[in-house]
Amino acid sequence: MLTIKTHLYSSFIIYWDIQSIALLAIVILMVCLLSFMLLYLLVKAGHEKKHTYWRSKSDTLIHKAVFDDEEKIDDMFIEETLGSDNLKKNRYFRKILTEEIISAKKNISGAAADNLIDLYRLFELDKYAIRNLNHLKWYIRAKAIHELTTMQISELVDHLHLFINDPNEYVRMEAQSALVQFNGFEGLSFLDTIAYPISDWQQIKLLQLLSHLPPSSIDTTPWFESKNSSVAVFALKLARNYNRFEQHDAIAKCLDHSDAKVRLEAILCLNEIYTDETSDHLIGRFLKESLKHQLAMIRVMQTLGTERDILFLTDLLNHESDQLKLDAARALAHASNNGMAALEAYSEQSEQDITEIVMHIKREMSV
Amino acid sequence: MSWQTFLLHVFTYGILVYSMILLTFYLLIGAFSILETRSYLHKNSFTDYRMLASSTEAPTMSILAPAYNEGPTIIENVRSLLSLHYNNLDLIVINDGSKDDTLEQLIKAYDLYKADFYVTQLIKTKKVNGIYRSHNPVYRKLTVVDKENGGKADALNVGINIARSDYFVCIDVDCVLEQDAILKLAKPFLESSTHRVIAAGGVVRVANSCEIEGGRLVKVHLPKKFLPRIQTLEYIRAFLLSRMAWTRLNGLLLISGAFGAFDREIVINCGGYHTDTVGEDMELVVRMRRYMEEREEPYKVGFIPDPLCWTEAPSSYRILGRQRNRWTRGTIETLRSHKKMFFNPNYGILGMLSYPYWFFFEFLAPIIEFLGTIGIIIYFFTYAINWSAVVIMIGVICIGILYSIFAILMEVLTYNQYKQRKDILKLVLVAILEPFIFHPFVVWSAVLGNISLLRKQNSWGEMTRQGFAANKNPR
Repeated sequence: MLTIKTHLYSSFIIYWDIQSIALLAIVILMVCLLSFMLLYLLVKAGHEKKHTYWRSKSDTLIHKAVFDDEEKIDDMFIEETLGSDNLKKNRYFRKILTEEIISAKKNISGAAADNLIDLYRLFELDKYAIRNLNHLKWYIRAKAIHELTTMQISELVDHLHLFINDPNEYVRMEAQSALVQFNGFEGLSFLDTIAYPISDWQQIKLLQLLSHLPPSSIDTTPWFESKNSSVAVFALKLARNYNRFEQHDAIAKCLDHSDAKVRLEAILCLNEIYTDETSDHLIGRFLKESLKHQLAMIRVMQTLGTERDILFLTDLLNHESDQLKLDAARALAHASNNGMAALEAYSEQSEQDITEIVMHIKREMSV
Repeated sequence: MSWQTFLLHVFTYGILVYSMILLTFYLLIGAFSILETRSYLHKNSFTDYRMLASSTEAPTMSILAPAYNEGPTIIENVRSLLSLHYNNLDLIVINDGSKDDTLEQLIKAYDLYKADFYVTQLIKTKKVNGIYRSHNPVYRKLTVVDKENGGKADALNVGINIARSDYFVCIDVDCVLEQDAILKLAKPFLESSTHRVIAAGGVVRVANSCEIEGGRLVKVHLPKKFLPRIQTLEYIRAFLLSRMAWTRLNGLLLISGAFGAFDREIVINCGGYHTDTVGEDMELVVRMRRYMEEREEPYKVGFIPDPLCWTEAPSSYRILGRQRNRWTRGTIETLRSHKKMFFNPNYGILGMLSYPYWFFFEFLAPIIEFLGTIGIIIYFFTYAINWSAVVIMIGVICIGILYSIFAILMEVLTYNQYKQRKDILKLVLVAILEPFIFHPFVVWSAVLGNISLLRKQNSWGEMTRQGFAANKNPR
């Protein structure tokens, strides 16, 4: 027994020597991580105090600039408000002031907004931002574009073409938004040259920015043939939003586009821009499409369907997809004044029981 | 060399190799999580969610909220869900054959009537007894479904059949969502132009002891009780480190059943939720990924690190044990169903990394840990203790603590929900205690989960919750 114990002890010593270093390293790392965290919390608490101090100064400046329209924004104004204009060289203050001005500018217009722009320029914040346009880090470049756009610094426009095909998506997005904000619908000319896809998110953003401008009679048809499918999709959205009825034929032609996303957008577009022939275009394409697109087509037929589509829609009540049957019944009921009667007549004659579908449609129409 | 010595060496070096690989994964997860979180925070600084909130171009979303015996809290929870910020949103509450007055309460509170409604059977489900809509136009976004009891997966499938939206968000009805949760969850689906985003998950946080009023989170507090507090750390570790890292690699296999959004078309094409597993959330994500891999379509599973969903964590060992038992069974069932992908290069990252990781470090880890501990105890009592194995074990425990501390640091550096310094120190204390108090219980529950599966016990396990009513002004 004593031998075993001795063996156990000596083996413990050997293994401990080798592995204790590793164990010690882990413990040291643990202590370092903990110390860093505690130090960070302490520094952060100090930072917050500093932040509150400079923020109150920045708030005072902005408040005066916004609420005193008559005020001339110059060095005197800073000195009168804060007692010194040395703050221009204070990097920390500049950072806070920039954030505050940008945030305020987004919610303000008119003379107060002009005062904010003057204040921004007075602190030469525009120069720092323009310098950051060439920064290696993408988020600093994107932030600079965003900042200069918000502050309507027109010098930015000369630089924007450099960023339209920037490898970073966010830089591109900010540059595209800037072009639209500075040049309105003409800013959309970037669609001619953009090589990268435009995400759905960015399309929503651009449409939102354009919605603040007076409606335009922009011709979007050249972009329908863009090699960049996302450009074609966006152009179709523009045509739909701005009711470009004269583009109907070009839109209908997009139903034969090689990209499924473009075809789907064209279907949705025809829900708003249609003529008497639109349903013929949709019916002609119907069998070549996936179920998803067929459902979209039937939903469009609900809007533009007429008496002469009743036969086509009635045939679809035999479709294997329950979802399509329901949508076809809905489109049929809306197709004309006789639509509901046709649906009920089919329900009575048909071998398949579509009573629940008819009840569903009736309930919807009664709401 | 005697067979005992050989066995001892196999045991020791086996554990050493396993620990080294696990350590490597920890390091990689930490590194990838930093990269992904930084990238997300930078990108998010350019995002104006108000734009999406008011846009008619936003994709349509349906919230699917299965409810079973939720009578005491259902009205408040539904009201909270109806007030979420999103333009094209509807809410489908599925009463999964509740035995209490859940349905009656909803009818009364929201002025519901039984509507003629044709339910398409895109996914086969149990019988739907009725669809209810409100007379009050204020609640036009609300649909309540009454169906035969069939479990959460079946209830969600009914919701998928009824929804007409592009995407659906499945949630636990008793979870509390941030007002902008859906806006944030919708973004991943819109921002990728090269890959189709098939699903997106959000962070779930522990709501015990938080102040909740009118179904809204008013103030965040660290849980007062030990068990929920330790789960707070566990959730931070899982969501901020592990899931962020796997998102970076596009290898995320699990989106929490409590809060996740899915591409409805892909889910329908995959056949919806499987009702024969207790891990339906993980199983669906794996099946969707497999579907996309087999079609060779570029895809992504997104993840949002913002704390968007708050849930009540079990505060008793009995309930926690059931939950972990179920999670283990769910993991094994999913891995078993998709064993074809195991180290199969045709499935890319999914087959070569994600699946093996889950197999070795999620499924096998508790078993190895359990057997290792038993082995050390046996060796100790037979005086043949292998100190090397003991030191490795101590090392693994220390690495575990280190990993937890790193998770807390990430929390502090990013979202910092627990503002008071003493709360952070409490979390650090919990990190040190966890391997000795909480972790053995979790391992034991996982072992029991394996045993339950072998004995073909496939019950969900009742999850009794205390509710948030008692959480007003907890301190």
